[in-house]
Amino acid sequence: MAKPKVAFYWCASCGGCGEAVVDLADKILDVVAAVDIVFWPIALDFKYKDVEAMEDGSIAVSFINGAVRTEEQKEIAELLRRKSGLVVAFGSCSSLGGIPALANLTSKKKIFDRSYLNSPTVVNPDGIVPKTKSIYDGYELTLPEFYETVYKLDDVIDVDYYLPGCPPTPDLIANAVNAILEGKLPPKGAILSPDKSLCNSCDRNESKPEDVAIAEIKRVIDIELDPEKCFLAQGIICMGPATRDGCGASCINGNMPCTGCFGPTDSCKDQGAKMIGTLGAIIEGEEEEAIDKVIEGAVDPAGTFYRYGMSASLLGSARKEEEDE
Amino acid sequence: MNNFEPKIVAFTCNWCSYAGADKAGMMKLKYSADVKLIRVMCTGRVDTQFVMTAFREGADGVMILGCHPGDCHYRTGNVKALKRYKLLKKTLVQFGINDKRLKLDWVAAGEAELFQKVVNEMAETVKELGPLHLTGNVEQGGK
Amino acid sequence: MNVERPKIALFLCECSTNISNFIDLPAVADWAESTKDFCFVEVSNLLCSPDGKKHFAEKLMEHKPDGIIVAACSPKLHEKTFQDIAEEVGINMSRVQMANIRENVSWVTKDKKKATEKAKAMIKAALQRVILAEDLEKVTMEAIPDVLIIGGGIAGIEAALTASKAGRKVYLVEKDVSLGGSVIKTEEVAPNMECSPCLLAPRLSEIRDDPNITVLASSEITDVLGFYGNFLVKVRKKARYVEESCIGCEACFDVCPVTVKSEFHLGLGNRKAIYALFPGSVPASAVIDSDLCKHFIDNSCDACVPACPFGSINFDEKDEELEINVGALVVATGSKDGDVSNFAELGYKTIKNVYTLPEFERLASSNGPFGGKIQLRNGEQPLSIAVIHCAGSLREDGIPYCSGTCCVDAIKVGELVRKQIPAAKVFNVHNDLVFVGPKENAFYRKQVKDGTQFIKCSDLKTIQIIEKGDKIRIDGKGFKSIKVDMVILSTGLEPASGTNELADMLNIDLGKDGFFKADHDLLNETGSVLEGVYVAGCSAGPCNVATSVTRARSAVGDIISKLIPGREIELEILTSVIDEEKCGACKLCISVCPYKAISFDEEKNISIVTEAICRGCGTCVASCPSGAAKAKHFTDDQIYAEIGGLLYE
Repeated sequence: MAKPKVAFYWCASCGGCGEAVVDLADKILDVVAAVDIVFWPIALDFKYKDVEAMEDGSIAVSFINGAVRTEEQKEIAELLRRKSGLVVAFGSCSSLGGIPALANLTSKKKIFDRSYLNSPTVVNPDGIVPKTKSIYDGYELTLPEFYETVYKLDDVIDVDYYLPGCPPTPDLIANAVNAILEGKLPPKGAILSPDKSLCNSCDRNESKPEDVAIAEIKRVIDIELDPEKCFLAQGIICMGPATRDGCGASCINGNMPCTGCFGPTDSCKDQGAKMIGTLGAIIEGEEEEAIDKVIEGAVDPAGTFYRYGMSASLLGSARKEEEDE
Repeated sequence: MNNFEPKIVAFTCNWCSYAGADKAGMMKLKYSADVKLIRVMCTGRVDTQFVMTAFREGADGVMILGCHPGDCHYRTGNVKALKRYKLLKKTLVQFGINDKRLKLDWVAAGEAELFQKVVNEMAETVKELGPLHLTGNVEQGGK
Repeated sequence: MNVERPKIALFLCECSTNISNFIDLPAVADWAESTKDFCFVEVSNLLCSPDGKKHFAEKLMEHKPDGIIVAACSPKLHEKTFQDIAEEVGINMSRVQMANIRENVSWVTKDKKKATEKAKAMIKAALQRVILAEDLEKVTMEAIPDVLIIGGGIAGIEAALTASKAGRKVYLVEKDVSLGGSVIKTEEVAPNMECSPCLLAPRLSEIRDDPNITVLASSEITDVLGFYGNFLVKVRKKARYVEESCIGCEACFDVCPVTVKSEFHLGLGNRKAIYALFPGSVPASAVIDSDLCKHFIDNSCDACVPACPFGSINFDEKDEELEINVGALVVATGSKDGDVSNFAELGYKTIKNVYTLPEFERLASSNGPFGGKIQLRNGEQPLSIAVIHCAGSLREDGIPYCSGTCCVDAIKVGELVRKQIPAAKVFNVHNDLVFVGPKENAFYRKQVKDGTQFIKCSDLKTIQIIEKGDKIRIDGKGFKSIKVDMVILSTGLEPASGTNELADMLNIDLGKDGFFKADHDLLNETGSVLEGVYVAGCSAGPCNVATSVTRARSAVGDIISKLIPGREIELEILTSVIDEEKCGACKLCISVCPYKAISFDEEKNISIVTEAICRGCGTCVASCPSGAAKAKHFTDDQIYAEIGGLLYE
């Protein structure tokens, strides 16, 4: 029997998810042995036209990582969707928007102005910015459109499963691949990691008191981090409570707080909003002045609470027009 | 002339502000029809997701009206609401949403005129700010 | 494919003309019909009237809807009315959703068109919400009708007697060795000048003989668990080393070799290491102070054993740890006399004939150290006495508030002194004078008539008490200095020691002045912020004996009207519930619950709501970062649906 065909693709991505597959280490040999990789831009030399030539649905599963920022990414995502039985959103960016989606707090114009015109080291006297169509030397050149907004994968195609994480851990990947190969998958739309707070498996949870009160929000550079104590109890914002379990708490074990890459549990609509509500309520102080003082320590709430989940959030992105004060 | 009719959702608590609104009703104090109330038992119940959902679903302004500090029927729910609101406001500004579009205030059960004043002021403020028009992933739906 | 749509009935109440004049109800009805979302739409009138209610019930029985929207007045007015009718015809109360188109729309909107549109929006909101209704159950719980009273002063005593007469078991817990509190240290209670031991003695006997009342003296509360109707109170009953067979004959006092200053006499008199507070105390038995008794220190004395005619001495007695189940708690821990030793200018403890008012009361009491003889330190009778009002009070570095009860006792000095020493001159140095009611005011006028000189000082902080040989001179702003034999400082009242710890244990609030906070200053002086915990007497704030007693009876009155033997109490329906499968053990809900209704189960690694304590505020639900907590009848989904319904065009 032919081995199932598998494809990997990266959209707006740092490459870490591709690394994660490679990081399966010895497990990767099992994977490679079990499947037939037909498309993997980071590692193998297959072309788009190779994919276009395949029969619809002939790829058993496509793992697509990265957020969707350009027209090309959308097109290839749609192509792979047509050609695949299953599509798995691989990693935080494709599941939630990820780090690239923080760009939603600014605008395409601002990004272009900065990158191509105003950056201190740019020399661009003619003010040339990328265009979808331009004429050069008599030839018409096209570039994929750079969208106004960073999307997550399921904004542009139908997604069957989500592997969360920045990047997903080797265990999670191996489990997912095995589940697919064995046909033992949960209902469509499932996120392939436990539906519980990270606190559930965090070693430091015992040290969290039953009356946490944050008197001052500290950043990881402000204090010497206690390697055994719950971060919230130290005044450090840890996204663990609002983040799915399943990563093995690797950041915590590295003495750094969770930043939320696995996204929210199924019962939450908006990870950042939830964390704002949770953290807000445990701020110490009854008077407005005292409360305001503590909140001064949250220097970039949007970036902190929506670090990975901007595209998945209820607001999605900042308003593009400026509002008067 | 500004013909814009803002959509404003006000989360009101059963024991204080909702009762204050009822009293405003009994006293026939007129206020903007643009403000529509949602009753919760305590402003401590108001999940940040509610506020964001309201904006996403088309609200141009959102209010959270609770008991005066010290008078909460459930001791401290209103103070929790205040703290969440402060952090949320700071975040909304980063989303390019004018922080005047979210207002938390205290209205007791007997304060009918205050209720009228507070909601009318909000309606005026939001009317001047204009429609919110959220952009981005909102149109795409998303998860 | 045929999808089963929920059947929703819509009643639009005209409310006579209160709604129908300001909202185009027929247009709303037409619109509602056109949406095809309702199985039944009707413009009704006066649904709350007897006929209206009957009609409502009939329509429900006819259509058997899954959800019912009553677009009418405020749910705070009639939600229960319609819920009750629904329950009667077999529809769960959760299925009734009101749309407040009267208080929120018809009465407050100028423009009829806008009002009509707003009414539609609110009905849409109600529709989306009621579709997600989940059945609610009334929950009742067996409650224990018994009462535990913390504090055995006059308030605690009255509370105990009142509760016992209603047939309840009463546990009266007192820190000191016997009942009596502050009042027993007073000779005569102003303004009636009734002898306080005479007031108390019959009550103490009643308590002693009452089989319903268990007196736990020398006892302290160590923990309080549970909730209204079902408290578990842990009490440590300290060993007295004298058994209940002791009748208080005092034979052992004579032979005891250890003499110390008596706390009951505020240091003005002595007691032995084996002692009782006063004759006729309840419990009657004496107590051995094991810190001072030579038997406990070096086993060198047994003198009381042979002296006791009843063989009551038992050096082997141990502390007892008791666990008591009751339905309600009454806090009657009283207050503490203000401390003026920090104010050097007042001469307390430095000038020998300067006393506090409580100390003077001890001198004047027949159960005091000198049998009631008012005397100076050298045993002679004073011929001139000055009482300084507000000593140590009305100042930020002392007691910042006016205690409101001391002035009548301060002027009582004149009455007491003139009875014993008719020739004595009495001066009351004051700024304010605070009297409560006509009787106290009449008492004041009597003292003026009988000869007390009232000297107004324009700034009490300027008072200087200076020793001048055998006399004491009093200087101050606004009056000519006076020289007297004895100075009495009228101090205010502070919260009793241990108040903060007890408030923590009970999880109730303290007010601004540090006394226990009442549920409502005007309407419920004797409730606390927690149901089932009451505050009586001075523990809720300084007050006179009459008010202490009234508060005590009021608290017990509330208890016996609500906790009735055999009758189950209704618990809060709209509680919060945490899904065991979803809870991630982050414990952040526990931090925010105002009632400490959530506890952590170490074994299951989840947080659990004790529904009997939960009051349904929903703060934990908004705080739960994983969405595991749910607020009954105010779920996230229901609110989202309401938001959507309100805003969707």
